[in-house]
Amino acid sequence: MLTTAPRLRIRRPSPTTAEFTVTTLPPRTLALRLLWLLLLALRISLSLVALLILYARWTTPAGALLARIAASVSLPVLLPVAAAVFYALSLRVHKEESLLVLRGLGVQTSESPATYLAGAATRFIPTEKIQDILVNEAFLGFEVRYYLVVVVEGEENVVVVFPGLLPRRKIVETVWRGVRECLYEGRGEDRVDKSGS
Amino acid sequence: MHPFSTLTLGIFVAGYITARWDLVTRLYELAIFAVEYGVVLRVARGIVVLTAFFLAIFVPVALLARRETTLHDGLMRVFWPTDIRKSDRTGVVVGWRNSTLDVFVVTILEDVDAHNVEFHLRSGTFFRSSPHSPSRIYELCGHSSMHVLGVSNAATQDAIDPSWVCAKASTSSRYPRISCAKASSIQLILYDRPRPKGMQYISLNPIALALGDKGTLPEDVASSEDDSEEAKHEKAIKENRRMLVEKLKQHSIVRRVASARDKALPKIVNQVNWSWELEQALQQNVGRLGPRPKRGLSVSERVVESATTMRNYVLVQLWTLFSVYLFPIVQKAFVLVLLFHRMVAEIFLIILEFRAKPGYAALKDISATAQQIEIRLQQFCYWPMQYVTLRQRKANWASVTTSHPDYIRFYNSLWLVANDVIIGMAVGSYIIEHKDWVADQIRDLLRTYTVEALQRGISWLMGWPAGLKLNGELAAFLGDLFLWVIDYWSSCIETLSPMLPHIIWFIGFSSFAGASMPIAMFSDLLSVLTLHIYSFYLASARIYHWQLTILRSLFHLFRGKKHNVLRNRIDSCDYDLDQLLVGTILFTLLFFLLPTVMVFYLNFAIARMIIISLKAGFDTLLSCLNHFPLFALMLRLKDPSRLPGGIHFELRDTHYPTTPDANDNLLNEPPTSIIYLKNIPLPFRDMFHQYFQMAHRIRKHYLSPRVLLCLVTGQFVPPINRKNLYSLQYSMLPARRATVWEMWRAVNTEIDIPQKKPFQMPNIPQLQNGGKRPTGFGRTRS
Repeated sequence: MLTTAPRLRIRRPSPTTAEFTVTTLPPRTLALRLLWLLLLALRISLSLVALLILYARWTTPAGALLARIAASVSLPVLLPVAAAVFYALSLRVHKEESLLVLRGLGVQTSESPATYLAGAATRFIPTEKIQDILVNEAFLGFEVRYYLVVVVEGEENVVVVFPGLLPRRKIVETVWRGVRECLYEGRGEDRVDKSGS
Repeated sequence: MHPFSTLTLGIFVAGYITARWDLVTRLYELAIFAVEYGVVLRVARGIVVLTAFFLAIFVPVALLARRETTLHDGLMRVFWPTDIRKSDRTGVVVGWRNSTLDVFVVTILEDVDAHNVEFHLRSGTFFRSSPHSPSRIYELCGHSSMHVLGVSNAATQDAIDPSWVCAKASTSSRYPRISCAKASSIQLILYDRPRPKGMQYISLNPIALALGDKGTLPEDVASSEDDSEEAKHEKAIKENRRMLVEKLKQHSIVRRVASARDKALPKIVNQVNWSWELEQALQQNVGRLGPRPKRGLSVSERVVESATTMRNYVLVQLWTLFSVYLFPIVQKAFVLVLLFHRMVAEIFLIILEFRAKPGYAALKDISATAQQIEIRLQQFCYWPMQYVTLRQRKANWASVTTSHPDYIRFYNSLWLVANDVIIGMAVGSYIIEHKDWVADQIRDLLRTYTVEALQRGISWLMGWPAGLKLNGELAAFLGDLFLWVIDYWSSCIETLSPMLPHIIWFIGFSSFAGASMPIAMFSDLLSVLTLHIYSFYLASARIYHWQLTILRSLFHLFRGKKHNVLRNRIDSCDYDLDQLLVGTILFTLLFFLLPTVMVFYLNFAIARMIIISLKAGFDTLLSCLNHFPLFALMLRLKDPSRLPGGIHFELRDTHYPTTPDANDNLLNEPPTSIIYLKNIPLPFRDMFHQYFQMAHRIRKHYLSPRVLLCLVTGQFVPPINRKNLYSLQYSMLPARRATVWEMWRAVNTEIDIPQKKPFQMPNIPQLQNGGKRPTGFGRTRS
């Protein structure tokens, strides 16, 4: 309910700049917003409880129940469990991966990280280095997936766009067309300003 | 034309006509003659033909050319600094024009004339008082001068070049609004100026923390030394990948030529790095453009000025006294001490690196202590050179970013050594104070684990361990042999034990040279005090291996075959009956004795492995103390933009005020996308890259199936090459250290720089004093 199948969102303020975002975030409705708020409250309260248990373990009991729980669990168990709980509470619900295309500069892929604590991992590829952008197919389990790759000059590995979500073929094709249009269509060569250099 | 020059020309023509009147009459006659003979008609015909030709060919060509030029995408790219001052005044936008529609804005000069600015930019007025030569700027930014890019908040659209940018920045809006007559769409890329004084910069590639002059060397060593099979396998994989990459290249249908805008990216990175200093220079010198009114000082100001002049005078005198008489002596003495130190270091280094024959082990390959001393000495040798290169940084603009990794390396190694010494002092004083206790502990440990545990283990093996029916006689023989040697060894240790507190005291004392020293010494001590285990391991492995080889050849005999050495294969062979009989009997005998020998071998092999892993632990500690990227980590926390790891872009939402004001008709804005250029700080993973590499190398060496096979068959497990293991520690040092002579020269050239200083230094307080008062037309300086 909190996530949908990967869907495409395009932001294109000018014809030569576009951002293609594939996200599992469903369109915002009132019910969803409420659910979202509820989840946030739950997360915060759970992390507070975990913190309190840890606190009760170290110092004077903060609450009778918590203190009993904290005392009953041995420390080598308590600490990893607390760490795991914190990690689980900081996990993101939805995934988001995007491709930013800037004519004259290059393309940039980015993935949302697994937790709220880390920043997005981005990779910028200058236009000079882009050898090709193509749609490829591969087996994944028992199905064939189509995926967008950027072939980078002088590198052994290709860069897969939307590596985690691997959206459907229709989305991939739309993005591919958009990227080609944005990067190359109607491109005239710039005249270098000779007076300056 | 100027009225005066028109008048002059008129007077000249009138004078000429009067002076040469006969020429004028001749011309008049010529004209009448031409009219009479139809010259005019012919001329008119010629003109008509030429006009037709022009209309038919030249005009369509010109039209086509114009259409072609307007056909290019009309994308304008504007780099705009985020911290540019926002005001409603008119100004001139100054920066670099990388190509017609690709501009890089450095600053806006307010209340000046654009053509005037252009002239002064070309003649270099702005950099006349700069401390360093501006040619370096032009070289790195790729242009011979800065350009006027446009105007901001212009009142009228007249006299604006079509390729000029019209910016409209006001104090209320967050982003400037850009338009240009030639552009059909705009990318507005906002960037934060890195502060070169704070050593911030951006770069396309992550900053390299390790010294790069021998990056490929350890790999080569590894590949040449590893067993041929693994190397072959790796080579095959690499070859396969290369083929795939080649194939992929053939898949691209269109080979697109990069446009000037695509190629400008490295230049733009440099321009971003320079933008702060250029802005400072431009804003400081904007007063040179026009006349500056001079105002007499008031009485109070004069009093203040004379007082500060007096203070400055005293300071200057003191400073010259110091710099002329005292400083050179101190410096010379310091240089001499350094040089003496360098020579002593050279002697030690030669001793440590001495090899009896090329290929033999040097002292530093055998002992961890020697290795540690060598690393420290190399660092001491490298520091003066590093310092000299860092000093040269001061003689140039701060925006030249090539020396920043050097700076980080230098201070990282200094800090690590300082840390090492501090920790070493704590450890050393503890060890010296408790030397008896420490010695007792070590003695106990030695007795329990290297003597008693071994003895117990051997006696257990002698008495049918874990229900295994071993050969009692052989087990007793082997066990007695080992026990006897252990007894002898323990008596040796006992005689040595009164010496132990002194040795511990020595180790504790050595730790004042750094905590890494006692660790290295303990590592060496461990290898010396467990020498008997090493020899047991060697002996039992040899016996076990012999037995295995004999068993193998006897097995071939048992099958009626033999190993042909010349062909390296198994051939069948006709043995005599007695040969077969004896061989088979021997085979059975040895086969039944094998478990006994194997059990003893396994016992010592395990002990040996434990010692190796202990030493690996010590080595890891050492590499942490010698190489930990402490300074880089601190910088990453304090100021992430000093450790650039690449760039990334962020597409911002464009929000414009819904109510268009009157001036909006002036700026018919093309569609604009606002992009924010940001610096990615170096990821933590990259900082510890060397550690990951080392771990990978160790894992590849010790956890490979080849090593397991060696262990099982009782062959000697080759220890990992120290050069591979220590490439991490040497990654901060150059492959070849500078000789004494090179250092002497470097240190002496270094003296030249401070000699210039005394003449500049006195000016600084005066400048500060004068700079407090605003000069010019109340222009605020930023």
